[in-house]
Amino acid sequence: MTKRRSASARLEGHPLTPYLFAAPVAIYLILFQFYPLVQELYLSFTFTDLLRPSDSTFVGLENYSFLIEVGELHKVLGVTAIYTICCVVFAVGLGLLAALLLDAPFVGRGVARALVTVPWAAPSVAVALVFTWMFNAQYGIFNHGLRALSLPFGTENWLDSPNLALPAILLTTVWQIFPFSSVVILAALQGVPQELREAAAIDGADRLNIFKTAVWPTIQPTVFMLVLFVTIWSLRRFDLIWLMTQGGPIGATNTMVIELYRQGFVYRDLGSAAAIGMIGLTVALIITVIYFKVTQATERAQGKR
Amino acid sequence: MGSQTTHLPRIIAVLALLGVAIFPIYWMFVTSLTPSSELFAASPNLFPRFEQLGIYLEVFRTIPVATWLWNSFVVAAGTTVLSIVLAILPAYALSRFRFAGIAILGFALFATQMLPEAMLVVPLYAIFGQLSLLNSLFGLILANTAFVVPVITWIIKGAIDSIPLEVEEAARVDGCSRIDIVLAIVIPLITPTLAAAAVIAFFHGWNEYVFAQTLISSEALRTASVGLASFVGELSTPIHSVMTVGVIYTLPAVVFYLFAQRYVVAGMTAGSVKG
Repeated sequence: MTKRRSASARLEGHPLTPYLFAAPVAIYLILFQFYPLVQELYLSFTFTDLLRPSDSTFVGLENYSFLIEVGELHKVLGVTAIYTICCVVFAVGLGLLAALLLDAPFVGRGVARALVTVPWAAPSVAVALVFTWMFNAQYGIFNHGLRALSLPFGTENWLDSPNLALPAILLTTVWQIFPFSSVVILAALQGVPQELREAAAIDGADRLNIFKTAVWPTIQPTVFMLVLFVTIWSLRRFDLIWLMTQGGPIGATNTMVIELYRQGFVYRDLGSAAAIGMIGLTVALIITVIYFKVTQATERAQGKR
Repeated sequence: MGSQTTHLPRIIAVLALLGVAIFPIYWMFVTSLTPSSELFAASPNLFPRFEQLGIYLEVFRTIPVATWLWNSFVVAAGTTVLSIVLAILPAYALSRFRFAGIAILGFALFATQMLPEAMLVVPLYAIFGQLSLLNSLFGLILANTAFVVPVITWIIKGAIDSIPLEVEEAARVDGCSRIDIVLAIVIPLITPTLAAAAVIAFFHGWNEYVFAQTLISSEALRTASVGLASFVGELSTPIHSVMTVGVIYTLPAVVFYLFAQRYVVAGMTAGSVKG
């Protein structure tokens, strides 16, 4: 570290160079992310109609108190929590299983590794469309399959059912994002010594043991990082849910971002929409801070620093 | 590479995994080639009817697919070029300099991952209105770039981290400026990562929906994502035509991705494993 810093110091040129280099992104982010964010924060303290944004009235915390007292914020938060936790557990879990499966040598491994990432490359709108068709009550392939096997739910339209809509949305989301986890974990697995990985693939008895002592410690930071990213991305996912259910039926898939969009673009209430956005952002920030505290504590406990 | 590892259970598990990954895309294709009368039959048609392939020409006559695809292409290509050009110098600065504010820049780049597009679209709509950027593909490129640049900066920074400083020191001694170093030494060394970044940016632009839906109202400037989404819940267009458009929109992305996959994986791991 010290060697690197001194080498970097020797490279140092004009003191303003770093700022000139960082400027393009900084200006861009200020203009298109930070400034709109500040405007949203202000909007959240006003009553503003989507169609007449110039006559907004300052109402203080009224939007927030309305959401908490009268609105369905607790329900929205509940759906968001279930959706996010399930996305993390299933997308990272399935990604890990897929990565372990594709790590062992076999004929056609390269092709399999490429094909498994296809869902990640498919555009969300197309995914929403084909899954909506697959979940169709009478003609959807899922129900054809369930009826053929005489299993329950074979006649319901999944996306219209208060009990099945959220599982259906989760199935679609996990299908689309697990390849990302598997690609990233697969890359991390390359850091585990080759002999151990081969031994783990061959010897069934010691497999779990090798995983715990050799494989997991190597990939654990990567898996933790994935958990954070999948969490944050799930909190803001919009396209799939909006196109498949618009948050319905009766709020069963109504996550924060969907509620935000409905308040803004259906009820034309930009103030409440912004207030939901701010609450969601606070949740994401809290999770991120907790994440960094936990990872730092784990690293200290393991004596890495 | 022991052949004893090719147990039957593993082969079955791999095939099952691939089946799950591919099936919805396959199903979109099968549905596109199934005539309307059979779509609503008691038992599903499981295999593509290749004699129906004519529908892939027909939709270009009945639906403005060509315009949609062209607009998506312009947005995706523009987002790619703009975000790479914007990201290289800041990525270099994050990797090589220690300066006041570096932590803030790093955090700001990460924090953008928390901002939902659906939230920022309202203020952006107002800002774009003032700048006359509404109903313009260039405006859409600017909006998309704001969400792509942070990710790409981070990936490129990871790649620059792995270049030994000695390579640059030699050039410094010879009197090269920083810009010369970046252009002549750094960029050639990180081309695989730049390719990965380009693919990621292109995908973002090709797939993006919320901004395209909100910032564009002119029919002529519609992107494929918005065009395809307009079929959701609409009943007058036959399902096999909708799925045909879906395949036409998805296939270039998937094929392009399969070709570029090697670079994407290499580039992403250069960024993430270094940490």
